[in-house]
Amino acid sequence: MKVRILIADDHEVVRRGLCTLLQSHEGWEICGEATDGRAVVEKAKELKPDVVIVDVGMPSLNGLAATRQLVQQDPNCKVIVLTITDSDQVIREALDAGARGFVLKSDAARDLVAAVEALQRNRMFFTPRVNDMVLAGFLDRGNGARNTPPRLPHLTPREREVIQLLAEGKSSKEVASVLNLSTKTAETHRSNIMRKLGFHSIRDLVVYAVKNNIIQVQAPSHFSATGDEVA
Amino acid sequence: MAVRILIADDHSVVRHGLKTILGEREGWEVIAEAADGVEAVEMADRLNPDVVVLDLSMPRLHGLEACRQIREKTPSCEILIVTQHDSPQMLQQALLSGAKGYVVKANAARDLLAAVDAVSQHRNFTTHHNGGANTK
Repeated sequence: MKVRILIADDHEVVRRGLCTLLQSHEGWEICGEATDGRAVVEKAKELKPDVVIVDVGMPSLNGLAATRQLVQQDPNCKVIVLTITDSDQVIREALDAGARGFVLKSDAARDLVAAVEALQRNRMFFTPRVNDMVLAGFLDRGNGARNTPPRLPHLTPREREVIQLLAEGKSSKEVASVLNLSTKTAETHRSNIMRKLGFHSIRDLVVYAVKNNIIQVQAPSHFSATGDEVA
Repeated sequence: MAVRILIADDHSVVRHGLKTILGEREGWEVIAEAADGVEAVEMADRLNPDVVVLDLSMPRLHGLEACRQIREKTPSCEILIVTQHDSPQMLQQALLSGAKGYVVKANAARDLLAAVDAVSQHRNFTTHHNGGANTK
């Protein structure tokens, strides 16, 4: 039986790479492609793929929020998160959202086939760093969670969606349109978010969205000759 | 026209995508792939490709410095930058470093073949900030 895979990345060159990589595996087919988080949630509903591969840094709805919606929509949905970073926070959020696989873009050629194979066997697939982190979390719980990081203010998934859209420069009216809400409801979400986070300006919100990987921005154009980006 | 191409990008999935797109043009050959700037300079020096498709944000050696070194060691080789940086400042720095072309990754699938075609014939190719292309 064919394994049907849905892929989501906003860059066509990456989608082409994923297609080449995955279609060379006998019995696997790409059943659909999406260019943002909202589209992948819709396409998954329609196509019922066996595996969904989502990029983290997508416009409109990022890959982590999309993963959360995919799993809510279908608890058996097998999602692999594809990312450029395996920072603690991204890993934590991916696991929390219900991802069953986590692959770095730099290692995708090596790891992605193994990740899909693992999910097909109802197993999970994570990079060694994710495995270490999960193990460390387990051991921490055994020690009374002394090193638990401070908790962020509780935001609902809908509020996180609104944060992304506001941070991408959309007005409350545009947010309302994207999310099929009234403008008044979108404004209420905006007020609640600002109150919960203690913010007084959109600038604060944008900084928060970047720091918490809700949106990703390209690195500054200043650089050193060794390749380390510096502000 | 046969064109020998070296691809340099630290994301293997992007290299796969670039290779797939470039493979559509008959006579063009991707002769090697580099995963960082140091590898790109070394491979360009050893293989003398016609065109290097070069990412900017790479480990070990940034793409701009790799661009300068490749131009210095292998002047016959033309360089096309393919990057996520959609900024006029970075475009200017790339051209000053010796690149012949500049394509933003978001437009790579659309512009890559035309860009490689242009730079392989020693013509400039740059993507405008608003997504349009310019050759001269």
